[in-house]
Amino acid sequence: MNHRHPRRQAARALATLACACAFPGSALAFTTTITAGNPRAIYLQLGVGGFTGTYTGGGTPGNNTTVNLVSVTVPAGAVGSGAPQAMPTNSTVGGSSYDGFVFCNTPAQLYIGGFYRFNNNTAGAAATLTATSPANLTSAAGDTIPFTQISWTSSGIGDSGAQPFPAGAFTGATQTIGTIQRNQWAESCHTFSYANSAVRAAGTYNGRVTYTLTAP
Amino acid sequence: MSASRLTKNLLLAGLCAIGAGALAATARVDDTGTSLESITRMYWRQLSPARKVDNTMEGIAQVQVRLNLAPWAGRSGRIFMVLPEQPMGPIRASWPAHGRFLAGELASGQRALVYAGPINSPIMEGLLVLKLEVDGTRLQSIQRLNFHFEIDVD
Repeated sequence: MNHRHPRRQAARALATLACACAFPGSALAFTTTITAGNPRAIYLQLGVGGFTGTYTGGGTPGNNTTVNLVSVTVPAGAVGSGAPQAMPTNSTVGGSSYDGFVFCNTPAQLYIGGFYRFNNNTAGAAATLTATSPANLTSAAGDTIPFTQISWTSSGIGDSGAQPFPAGAFTGATQTIGTIQRNQWAESCHTFSYANSAVRAAGTYNGRVTYTLTAP
Repeated sequence: MSASRLTKNLLLAGLCAIGAGALAATARVDDTGTSLESITRMYWRQLSPARKVDNTMEGIAQVQVRLNLAPWAGRSGRIFMVLPEQPMGPIRASWPAHGRFLAGELASGQRALVYAGPINSPIMEGLLVLKLEVDGTRLQSIQRLNFHFEIDVD
């Protein structure tokens, strides 16, 4: 047996060495699980908005409860003439919240901008901007003007091509104003006008339109 | 033992020794005891999408690292952190220097140096604050990232 003993030792040595080759330590790993903390976000601004600073300046979106007004006083001689009357805004915001670029002419135009964030860029539904208007503007005396008398054109300084929120007219109901595709910023400038197509009783007529940006 | 058997055994021993040397050059490190928050929440780097789109989401994972270096105590080496390729696509991790750990960065599929020098202690501990960056449009479900450490012994 003695002559076999060195071979056993050699076999043990080889086995030990093989183990040392394969397992110099307990090979482990650490795992972290990642998940989207804010996968979706939307922001909408009409006129004066809640954006602090500008996007490119590191600004952040926030809330602003200001309701801006577009209005016109129709000269007595023009009432019901059919000549459209421009409706300027009391908003002083002409700069884009994106970069501060002067995008809209104030007070002639109302800035409309927003974004839609979603952690999936494949083709799919966009965020939809709707406006809900009542059937009529009303005066203190109870007289009315159909909201359909108010329309708008759409543009932007330096822009060419289609606007994300194109021209239209209020319907006196909820209507789609435009869409914002996923992970895009969209903005337009609306120039409102009153059709002035009929003689109305004297008075101040008011009505409120509510814009809503909805992400699917 | 015949001369041929002796030669064969010596050859086997030699091959294994060569293999041992090659494998010992890079070895995975036992990181038992390494701890971190179970979930890292990732947030848009730019909440507002821009005309020049940046869809990066980023998050911070604080990792309390504990490496068992006993097998290499008394030697010198370089320790790397490794992040294998990920199914969801490229992921980038970066971290500042802290304690004995070097600052560094890596992309999935790569490794990066976290320590180089003598291994004086069987246990190396320290904090790594990992900043993780991913394409947010591809982070549609929970993803598990498995990091590990390797050592190249000098």
